[in-house]
Amino acid sequence: MTELLTISGLSISARLADCDLRLLDDVDLAVRRGQIVGVVGESGSGKTTLARSVVGLLEKNVRVDGGSISLAGEQVVAPGVDLTAGVRGGQVGMVFQDASRSLNPLMKVRAHLAEVLHRHVPGIDKDEVRRRSVEVLEQMRITDTARVLDSYPHQLSGGLRQRVAIGLAVVTRPSLVIADECTTALDVTTQTKVVELFRTLVDELGIGLLFVTHDLMLASDLCDEIAVMSSGRVVEQGTALHVLESPEQDYTRRLLAAIPAWN
Amino acid sequence: MKATTLRRIGARVATLLASLLIALTMAFALGRLSGDPTATILGPMALPEQREALRHQLGLDQPLLVQYFDYLKGVFTGDLGDSLQFYQSNTTMILDRLPFTLQLVAAGMSLAILIGIPLGVLAATREGTWWDRGASTLALLGQSVPVFWLGMMLVVLFAVKLGWLPAGQSGSLKHLILPAVTMALYPMAHIARLTRASMSDALREPFIDSARARGISTTRVVWRHGFKNAMMPILTIIVLQTGVLMSGAVAIEYVYSWPGLGQLALQSIQFRDFPLVQAIVVFAAVIFVLLNLVVDLLHSVVDPRVR
Ligand SMILES: Nc1ncnc2c1ncn2[C@@H]1O[C@H](COP(=O)(O)OP(=O)(O)O)[C@@H](O)[C@H]1O
Ligand SMILES: [Mg+2]
Repeated sequence: MTELLTISGLSISARLADCDLRLLDDVDLAVRRGQIVGVVGESGSGKTTLARSVVGLLEKNVRVDGGSISLAGEQVVAPGVDLTAGVRGGQVGMVFQDASRSLNPLMKVRAHLAEVLHRHVPGIDKDEVRRRSVEVLEQMRITDTARVLDSYPHQLSGGLRQRVAIGLAVVTRPSLVIADECTTALDVTTQTKVVELFRTLVDELGIGLLFVTHDLMLASDLCDEIAVMSSGRVVEQGTALHVLESPEQDYTRRLLAAIPAWN
Repeated sequence: MKATTLRRIGARVATLLASLLIALTMAFALGRLSGDPTATILGPMALPEQREALRHQLGLDQPLLVQYFDYLKGVFTGDLGDSLQFYQSNTTMILDRLPFTLQLVAAGMSLAILIGIPLGVLAATREGTWWDRGASTLALLGQSVPVFWLGMMLVVLFAVKLGWLPAGQSGSLKHLILPAVTMALYPMAHIARLTRASMSDALREPFIDSARARGISTTRVVWRHGFKNAMMPILTIIVLQTGVLMSGAVAIEYVYSWPGLGQLALQSIQFRDFPLVQAIVVFAAVIFVLLNLVVDLLHSVVDPRVR
């Protein structure tokens, strides 16, 4: 199988007033078509930096020191190289943590979808925009698509908003979707539904999914492979089963132990 | 429209009417507190009978409450009394002067918006750069220069020294330039600073990052996503500043001999023409209440969350 996303030896640092701070150190990671790869680690371990580097949404003081990121074999990020503008929202879709704040409060769902379709499908007409908008909402398992399309974000429930945000990421038919803590703000029931949705989307559409979360249990439920991050490094990598059953690192064991045993 | 929306607007209109009534009452009280106008009008040598006759003519011999209700009735029927110095209806005079003031305010405000908003957006999108510092310094300067002084300087430079533009009076576009520029400076600076602040908040919102992640162009992200969300406080200040300028362009109209409301106000005060002063105050209060209503309506047009 071809690799959709190849990150090799990626090192990234932030310039602070008096020194440089390493955010990512020699990170290797790959996502293939139809595969869900989880990135897990405690807060501050560099997960968001990794996710954002793929779409070129790093802060101004952050710089790529070494390594590279390739999409379907084409290099898009390397030291001094940034071709992410060409893939952002098209080839790569992104879903953020807080859907209630990742949609423009002054725009209807319909306008959000139309905007991104017009941007990525040259010459698309009104009927086609409407058709694909409805289609993607149906893919998101939204039944009352007409109402949702005509709603402003604040008129929707948190779960629906997150589905819309995911829909916005996949409506352009990307080959790779990156989700950064996109279930963290949701309650457990909604979280489960969103996770199930991701699984079916990956199976139906054959996309690759990079799923970033601090929740190791959630990742092991959903992901085919898991990379465990700590202080900007990938410290453990393998199938979900492998990482969960026989963690080689103390760090992973601590992450596992940190999960409250309520059941 | 939803029932809650109607109720919200209803409540708002009620509050505004209440504040209008307070303003009207205060204008009335001020008119009555500023001493016996008959002394000013007739001079110290007038006979008591003459003054009594004038008091009767002005209705000042009526009980205060009767005067008050007569006054309110007049306000709501558009009758703001007669001027003591011009022997004309105040309403007519105000309406005669209004187009001049409106012309000046429209020109000044357009200039302020056209420069202030891009300046603020420029500063916000380039936060921390020299662009930002330059724009902010300009705005600070604009807010601290006294209008009166600026007007004089512009007259000295462009009318007296260079002779490019007329120093005063109205009539043509050329006449409008200097007063409009003078009027624009303060609101321009105010708008620029507010735009800078509001915009840089908006650009930090997560939905801005999301839009960028969806590949939306920078221009569109800045204006459609950022500016639209930053717009409400800016619109509010534009509308309210318009009110301030409409009723308070006294200094500018004086410097440029502009025949608008500000000059009329000045004349009325100089002559102790208390019915005219009162009429102008009432007019300003009505304008303010109306503009406040405009702000509310704009708010619900722009933001679906308050509909
Ligand atoms: N632009 C930046 N400048 C300085 N430090 C940063 C910057 N971006 C991230 N960091 C730091 O890098 C570390 C990793 O951050 P992040 O990638 O957000 O981690 P995670 O998503 O795993 O919580 C954190 O300690 C954070 O404070
Ligand atoms: Mg994070």
